[in-house]
Amino acid sequence: MKQKTIKHAILSLCILLSGFLFAQNSVNGTITDEEGVPLPGATIVVLETNDGSTTDFDGNYSISAAEGQTLEISFVGYETQQITVGSNAVYSISLVAGNALDEIVVSALGIKRDEKTLTYASQTVKSENLTQARDMNFANSLSGRAAGVEIRKSSSGSGGSTRIVLRGSKSLRGDSQPLIVIDGIPMVNNRNSQPDVWSGNDTGDGLSQINPDDIESITILKGANAAVLYGSQGANGVVMITTKSGEEGVTKVSVNSGVTFESVIKTPELQYDYGALNGDKNSWSTTKGNYDSGYVEDFFQTGANYINSISVSGGNNKTKAYFSYYNSTSDGVIPTFKYQKNNVSFKQSTKLLDDKMTITSNIILADEKTHNRPGAGYYLNPLVALYTFPRERNWNNFNTNYQTFDTATNMYKQNIYANYHFLSNPNWVLNKQPKDDRIKRAISSLNIKYEFSEKLSFQARASYDYSNKTYEQQHAASSNPTNTGDNGRWDYRRLNDELFYTDGILSFNDNLTDDLSLTLVAGASLQHHVYGEGVSVTSGNDGKLFYANEFNFQNLPTNVQVRSALGSKVEKQAVFGNAVIGYKDYLFLDVSGRNDWASTLVGTGNDSYFYPSYGLSAIVSEMISLPQIISFAKIRGSLASVGNEVPFNRINPQNTVTAAGGVNRNTQKPFTDLEPELIETTEFGIDLRFMNNKIGLDLAVYNIKSTNQFLSLSAPSGSGYTTYFVNAGEIVNKGIELSLSGNIIEKGNLSWTSVLNFTKNTNEVVSIHPDLTGLGDGGGDGVQSRFVPGGSIGDLYVRKHKRDTQGRIIIDKNGAPLSTDHELAGNAEPDFSIGWSNNFSLGDKLTAGFIINGKFGGEVYSHTETMLNGFGVSKRSGEARDAGSVSVNAVDENGSAVSSVDPVKWYTALGDRNGIGEPYVYSRTNIRLTQLSIGYNFDVSSLGIPIEGANLSLIGNNLLYSAEAPFDPEVAMSTGRNAQGIDNFTTPSTRTIGMNLRLTF
Amino acid sequence: MKKNIFYILLIGLITLYSCTDDFAELNTNPNQITTESLKQNFNHVGAYFPSMLKAISGNQVMHNLNNDSWVRHYATPTPFVGGINNTTYYPRWIHQYWNRIYGSIMAPGRQVIQIAEEGGYDMFVQWTKLIQILAASRLSAYHGPIIYSNYGTQGDVMYDTEAELYTTWFSELDKVVSTFSSDTSYSGFKDFDASYGGSIPHWIKMANSLRLRLAMRISKVNPTLAKTEGEKAINDPGGLITTNAENLMLSLYGDPFHEVTIGFSWNDTRMSASMESILGGYDDPRAPKYWSPVADASLVADHPTFPYKGIRNGAYLASKALHLPYSNISEDFKSASDRKLVDAAEVHFALAEASLRGWSTPLTAHAHYEEGVKQSFAYWGAGGVDAYLANNSGTPLNYDDVVETGDVNDFVSRISATVAWDETGTNEEKLEKIMTQKWIAAYTNSIEAWVDHRRTGYPKLPYNYQNDSNSDFGVVPGDEFMKRMVFPVGEKTNNASGYSDAVSKLGGPDEINTRLYWDTGGSNF
Repeated sequence: MKQKTIKHAILSLCILLSGFLFAQNSVNGTITDEEGVPLPGATIVVLETNDGSTTDFDGNYSISAAEGQTLEISFVGYETQQITVGSNAVYSISLVAGNALDEIVVSALGIKRDEKTLTYASQTVKSENLTQARDMNFANSLSGRAAGVEIRKSSSGSGGSTRIVLRGSKSLRGDSQPLIVIDGIPMVNNRNSQPDVWSGNDTGDGLSQINPDDIESITILKGANAAVLYGSQGANGVVMITTKSGEEGVTKVSVNSGVTFESVIKTPELQYDYGALNGDKNSWSTTKGNYDSGYVEDFFQTGANYINSISVSGGNNKTKAYFSYYNSTSDGVIPTFKYQKNNVSFKQSTKLLDDKMTITSNIILADEKTHNRPGAGYYLNPLVALYTFPRERNWNNFNTNYQTFDTATNMYKQNIYANYHFLSNPNWVLNKQPKDDRIKRAISSLNIKYEFSEKLSFQARASYDYSNKTYEQQHAASSNPTNTGDNGRWDYRRLNDELFYTDGILSFNDNLTDDLSLTLVAGASLQHHVYGEGVSVTSGNDGKLFYANEFNFQNLPTNVQVRSALGSKVEKQAVFGNAVIGYKDYLFLDVSGRNDWASTLVGTGNDSYFYPSYGLSAIVSEMISLPQIISFAKIRGSLASVGNEVPFNRINPQNTVTAAGGVNRNTQKPFTDLEPELIETTEFGIDLRFMNNKIGLDLAVYNIKSTNQFLSLSAPSGSGYTTYFVNAGEIVNKGIELSLSGNIIEKGNLSWTSVLNFTKNTNEVVSIHPDLTGLGDGGGDGVQSRFVPGGSIGDLYVRKHKRDTQGRIIIDKNGAPLSTDHELAGNAEPDFSIGWSNNFSLGDKLTAGFIINGKFGGEVYSHTETMLNGFGVSKRSGEARDAGSVSVNAVDENGSAVSSVDPVKWYTALGDRNGIGEPYVYSRTNIRLTQLSIGYNFDVSSLGIPIEGANLSLIGNNLLYSAEAPFDPEVAMSTGRNAQGIDNFTTPSTRTIGMNLRLTF
Repeated sequence: MKKNIFYILLIGLITLYSCTDDFAELNTNPNQITTESLKQNFNHVGAYFPSMLKAISGNQVMHNLNNDSWVRHYATPTPFVGGINNTTYYPRWIHQYWNRIYGSIMAPGRQVIQIAEEGGYDMFVQWTKLIQILAASRLSAYHGPIIYSNYGTQGDVMYDTEAELYTTWFSELDKVVSTFSSDTSYSGFKDFDASYGGSIPHWIKMANSLRLRLAMRISKVNPTLAKTEGEKAINDPGGLITTNAENLMLSLYGDPFHEVTIGFSWNDTRMSASMESILGGYDDPRAPKYWSPVADASLVADHPTFPYKGIRNGAYLASKALHLPYSNISEDFKSASDRKLVDAAEVHFALAEASLRGWSTPLTAHAHYEEGVKQSFAYWGAGGVDAYLANNSGTPLNYDDVVETGDVNDFVSRISATVAWDETGTNEEKLEKIMTQKWIAAYTNSIEAWVDHRRTGYPKLPYNYQNDSNSDFGVVPGDEFMKRMVFPVGEKTNNASGYSDAVSKLGGPDEINTRLYWDTGGSNF
């Protein structure tokens, strides 16, 4: 009730503010930078009358001035201009950048703010840095571009998802991914499923449906401070995408056409000398043979990625429009993989009512098709049989004749040499168990802004983001029987995601006195999402399809349910306000507050919750006199808290109808006093520029405490329930972010600019729940990811050698090493990361850039290696058989020294699903040449063709890396929260090289 | 004009943002079904029974690789987890059946009882109880003490001793039988009962038969109570399950018979060597109903007229491929639509034993023994029962694992009993015959056979060849068998004081070699 009153009070304030309507002014216009980007907060003074005004959020101003009077327009970081008022009423001025002290940044809700007023860290990446490498998943290109941003890319290739985490994992439940916002409006970035140690594949994320060439810039708001205005979804930070708009003036056409080639960097080290005994699946013979090799490398193909895009933009002083089309196709390194994407976007804005009203609409359409997205894990993964194929057998025959005709059933059956749940003929999986994903998506938004005066404006926005996703896999009869029924198996999901978002924001800015300025933002928002609504069916291995290899609803037997699916349905309403009070343009106090009402907390009494944030920034360089070398100095600090609602339908779930026609009674304990999760952030920062801004240094330190974690726990057996929920746990992230930028060379027409980003985050799981000693978080068999009080998110637990007090390995009576249970072996997160990006230019013609990323510390684990040991195909197991024994410093169970162990016994113990994994825990440390590009601008003006510019660039991604691990530690099996740092038969890391041609007309 | 637009927008916003009344509906999943909705057609009490009934019998890691192996019905060709697993006395799958019984029967059953009590549906209260006793008594056969009387209470939950469990179950069965008997024409179960079509007289027979089963379990540890309860079951006017038409059959609800999936799809189960030894030695006509003959005659060179080959339980398995040609289960199971849980043969064999123990029984031990065999033959559709019962020379075969070299996995049968009844034999000799036949008849429902084997020592099954038991879970001596399954690990952390209470009630360490309450060892009489 109390919160409702607050909400109404804020709304009343909005109404009150609307009374500040001002009289008509005689002169108006828009103040922009050289590129036409509006400059809000620019000062316009009529020198003769000393009347002043400032531009609004779109750079618009109006002021009373008579003909002949002089307007002085000034803005920090730009050269001050003067113009004389003539007979016109409109004077739009573009300011020339001066001593580039200040930058305009896009802050929460898409509001542009002068960076100096920001009390928290943000970092902007420009489009050319994101798209020059033509990475098929552009979000991967954020890696190393900003401090505090942890990127891990999926192993599933083109169209795969990207794990983005800002300032560490903050939740034991969610995946701590930031909110993605396009032009101020949240967008859906769901990842429907992720592989685990067992099986599965990535199904992409929402970002992959964006045309990267539409992006003007990406601003990363790292802390919850920045995100308070988005509410709980912004608790993990915000990635704000600003898209390109049409520009006033002549029509511009830009065409991009690129091709890149993708190839595997390295495959596991294998032996090809020892085959299997007794027709076994494991190559454990100790007699050397002469067998096929090289087929593993040959299996992977060189993939080709083609990207073509065109954009057309233009406009006049009333209407601007931007249109683009993007098409990419890709066939990756795994045969049969195919990815195709088409994008269309259209954005226009029109000014009405004496330019006081601006209506902007934007439509983005995407269609993504993926065939045979590579997976990971044991099941139905072609790489398992590829790597472990018994060496004495004939690979070519197996690979080519992946099916054989079976006269008993009058159909083709899979050719497989062993009846084992992890083994399938690779070509059978790729050809007879095809996976097809299709995503069709439309994002449309409308933004109406009305300016009552230069001081007061109102903006209403609405956006509808709809996608239809189909995931299908048709498993032919005789696919692996562990998961496929006699007549085949059909997995089919057709799901819709929709998000409706609307907000209304009233903005007011004024100089209260000569020294005091005030900017107020007040608003309300509503969002309603329905995720994963549709139909889902899986016939599993117990559902015998009526007719073999027919995949449709009619062919389903009675014990298979066609399910109405619903992932999540949530409505959140909010009111929020933000005030920035400036003193003498060098001291800024920022206060924000938000109240959320979340439908998922209904009935708990906690469905309404308020959280505030406070910040202060001071431009020290304008307050006191500093040594001349320091051209700018700012310090900032802030405190923020964000509440986070709980998932859908947890308060009082109901019962489910089963295939047997009965009902499964819900056995989750009702949780009626559930509270929102809470994330509290403290942050301090310094922004320094030296030597006339040639060198910049931005430092941030933060402390983020997450409490009241929403946890689902297994209920004790005797409790009468099977699961229950608690609010418990505390996670603390502490870190330092440092960004050092500089114009290293600026001589003649040669320039070299460089940015070095340093990130260090430490995460601690302070507590979980008094009843729990730990909480599993993915993995399986020999490796687990666990949360343990005092540990960190991402802790890896593997089986180790049992050792005596002197640390010697203990060998059992059968001559095999003994294993411990799962023990802590490391953490998947790095101790610190460095990203070093560089751009060079030589005159107008030649440009070049490269980025080097380094991750230092942290551990990763290769379950693939233990599996390869277990199958007797790891190179080391062959070498040990060559040597006849494995030399060890060990003891037997009686304490007598043992110096050598039988290779088969040794690697069997260090192998398979539950083997001793200790030796296969590797440092995550790696340094790589992430991107390299060289571009050349051709001089086409003299050719007499209607082409304005032509740029050809050579590009390379992930070109070189050095790491101890046998797989690429930066490629994630899962881009979700759990099972981080674990590799189990994931697609090897790839490098791409290629070229791109850009033409402008 | 401007003001108007502004106010219109604001009013619009206020309307949009000020309604949270529909939150409760929004946070509900429309694809779930509420108790309120289930009240239509009066489904709100009964709709849960198919799920609860279906949960009584578990899956591969609950039975096939556990009791089905320990009691030597099925054997696996697959060296799971490096060949070291439950079948070789090193537990890998511990808590699965426990979780199934608590999660799918005890937890929903507790709520169903509550709903039924509130609505005055006493018949449903008792039906739930009956299912819970059946399920819990199967679970107790695994672990010993379990959580029963204190189920659903707050905080750490204490276990029942086994002695308490049996007393509780007997008195609960009293209530079940008296309630059912007072309204035998009640038709309320009809829509939810795929087993008996809602027939109350059948459920009474099942309840009496269950009482007889439980009484027989404690016949050595508490002979007085056993006799009282056993005779109560025998003398109840509602009667026992004495013909196959009265068997408690669990519907598979369209799913395949699970061993079909394990045997034919996964190739993870085969005939046991003990089945080969016993069925082969007795020339048992049920063999083709149980198992598929081998395709390769060289596998059965030592008994060419009996073309079935089994794998020793707890065998040394060099690779999965080696034993796959051995006998799979019978193809007949591919068309199975149900599974027996309490059947006439079991009841007759229990009555035969009861007679030996001096309980008053309808017929003699001899007559019940032969009726048990006949009911089993009838159940499986096997002929030649008279000749079979007359066989007084055939004894179980010795076993040779032909795909292994030397005497790996081989064994000499310890059984000297023949099929034919010998009235002159001692009670031990008679009991051996009864238990051996009861063991054969129990195929596909082996938990009670596992209880009987531990309780009586019959049939005299072969020991494990491969015994990987160690101090982690307790050591089973080479000439003994798996005696119980340890308590789930989760109990130690989630219910710590309950767990230590349970161990004290177990009367020995929480290990696989600790005998359960009714497993007294020694002679049977």
